Amino acid sequence: MRPSFIISLKVLAVDVPILFFIGTLMGWTLAKKQFKGRAIVDTLVVLPIVLPPSVLGLYLLMTLSHIPFIRESRILFSFPAAALAPLFPSLPIMIQAAKSGFCSVDERLEQAARTLGDNELKVFCRVTFPLTRSSLMAGLALASMRALGDFGVTLMIAGNIPGRTQTLPLYIYSRVEAMKFFEANLAALLLTILGIASLSIVKKLEGKHAELS
Amino acid sequence: MQSCLEANFSKTLGNFHLNVSLYLGEEIGVLFGPSGAGKSLTLNVLAGLVKPDRGKITLRGRILYDSASSVFLKPAARKIGLVFQELALFPHLSAIENVAYGLKEPNKWQLAKEWLDKMRLSGLYERMPHQLSGGQKQRVALARALAPKPDLLLLDEPFSALEGPMRRALRRELKNLFLEIKIPTLYVTHDVEDVCSLATKVFLIRDGSITATIDANKLWDPQSQENVWHSLGWGTLIQGEIIMEEGNHWFRWPEGKLKLLQPTSPARGKATVFIPPEHIKLLYPDLPVDPELKPNAMEGKIIERIEMNHLVRLYIHSAGIEWHTEHPKDSYSTLNLNEGQNVSFSVKPSMIYVLTEECDPPK
Repeated sequence: MRPSFIISLKVLAVDVPILFFIGTLMGWTLAKKQFKGRAIVDTLVVLPIVLPPSVLGLYLLMTLSHIPFIRESRILFSFPAAALAPLFPSLPIMIQAAKSGFCSVDERLEQAARTLGDNELKVFCRVTFPLTRSSLMAGLALASMRALGDFGVTLMIAGNIPGRTQTLPLYIYSRVEAMKFFEANLAALLLTILGIASLSIVKKLEGKHAELS
Repeated sequence: MQSCLEANFSKTLGNFHLNVSLYLGEEIGVLFGPSGAGKSLTLNVLAGLVKPDRGKITLRGRILYDSASSVFLKPAARKIGLVFQELALFPHLSAIENVAYGLKEPNKWQLAKEWLDKMRLSGLYERMPHQLSGGQKQRVALARALAPKPDLLLLDEPFSALEGPMRRALRRELKNLFLEIKIPTLYVTHDVEDVCSLATKVFLIRDGSITATIDANKLWDPQSQENVWHSLGWGTLIQGEIIMEEGNHWFRWPEGKLKLLQPTSPARGKATVFIPPEHIKLLYPDLPVDPELKPNAMEGKIIERIEMNHLVRLYIHSAGIEWHTEHPKDSYSTLNLNEGQNVSFSVKPSMIYVLTEECDPPK
């Protein structure tokens, strides 16, 4: 179990910063900016949530295997693919959380900051972000857990290679297949504890957000 | 008085056209008019939060906006303080952090403290906005807008959420503050009392246009007051006389009478009264009537109904007068308020403004 646990932690170490930055940026753009095709982007962003992971994984496999750089660098069925795969189903969760957080910030607060001498970057850093921080952290906790628990997409584009791409959910699957239930249960217990911990963080942050708004 | 602010601009938003021309010196100008007239939009344009379609705005010689030379200064560069109707205090910052927000000086915390002390908020520096009362929030918002020493102060109905006595106290404080700091101030309101108490100049705005600019002294000039109040084009204006009957003051005209608040000024004689449309209350036929409304209850016929965004305007004919009322769309939903219907209505004595030479709003 140890190698799978370490691979899962490595995947999180890569995915959490990406989830945070891309999710925040896209959430802010969708909440605050008017641009052509916004409705389409809004729909496309949510699509991975409603698609079955195997379908999403298949689309990714087909698309990525046709990109020469990816094919030549043998990213598929390696650790980079294991790190990349969970981003697709988990990023929409982060984007949606960020978007609803940014939408809940009263526009007049940002206008007040502008009249008090702030440029757009300062308004974001001093008003928008502090008021959205709880929503962003809650979204990040949920999206990270979704990334940690990803099975279908990872299996489709990274495979189930012990010591290379086998994350904890894939390890559980392999153990059950081998009828090694004790090890499977142990790994499941670990994921459950992490899930409960992240949910309690989300609840706490939601309370904080309600207090500010 | 030399103009500090010179603004001529127009802006179209959907079906609404705003066309503003105003000049303001070191004085308190009150932008006065009914809901939906374009008051808040005017302030937003002046503050730079909304870009006008064309025109020119200068403040103390600085060009803030000029469509001819494509100049548009962003709000941050305008040096204009704005107090929003909803105050917009930063909920994640304490009172002192709110006031210090726009300050760049090294001693900004000291300056913020001084402003809070000036606003009688000593000891509340670290309170969060949700821990402050309505009046305290108003003062923090005012201090926050004034602390960076703006060239112009804009106030968007800042006292609208407050009750009478608190409102009057804050209004007095604002006036004293203005006499001390002398910043040109544009105050948006649809409350006659605000006009009476604060204005040195009144801009009447209706349907997106400034229909008149009046020196505040002229508002109470017996020779011109009727024209002034008529030019408002809204509200109910009645000519008659004040009489004493059974120990009470009444305002009487040939077809009817209204009970006034005690005492009135003048105590007797010819007078004109003004009733803002939102203070005329419709009465439900089957429900008990508020004792304050009872003496002035009347019957009338709806002669015109106008639906606006969130408001319904009614013109009711009763006792030889065309009464103008205004209420939110979702109010009185069980009453039939179509043209031709009979309705009962009334007005509280405290909401009848007797127009005299001296401003004497109800105490």
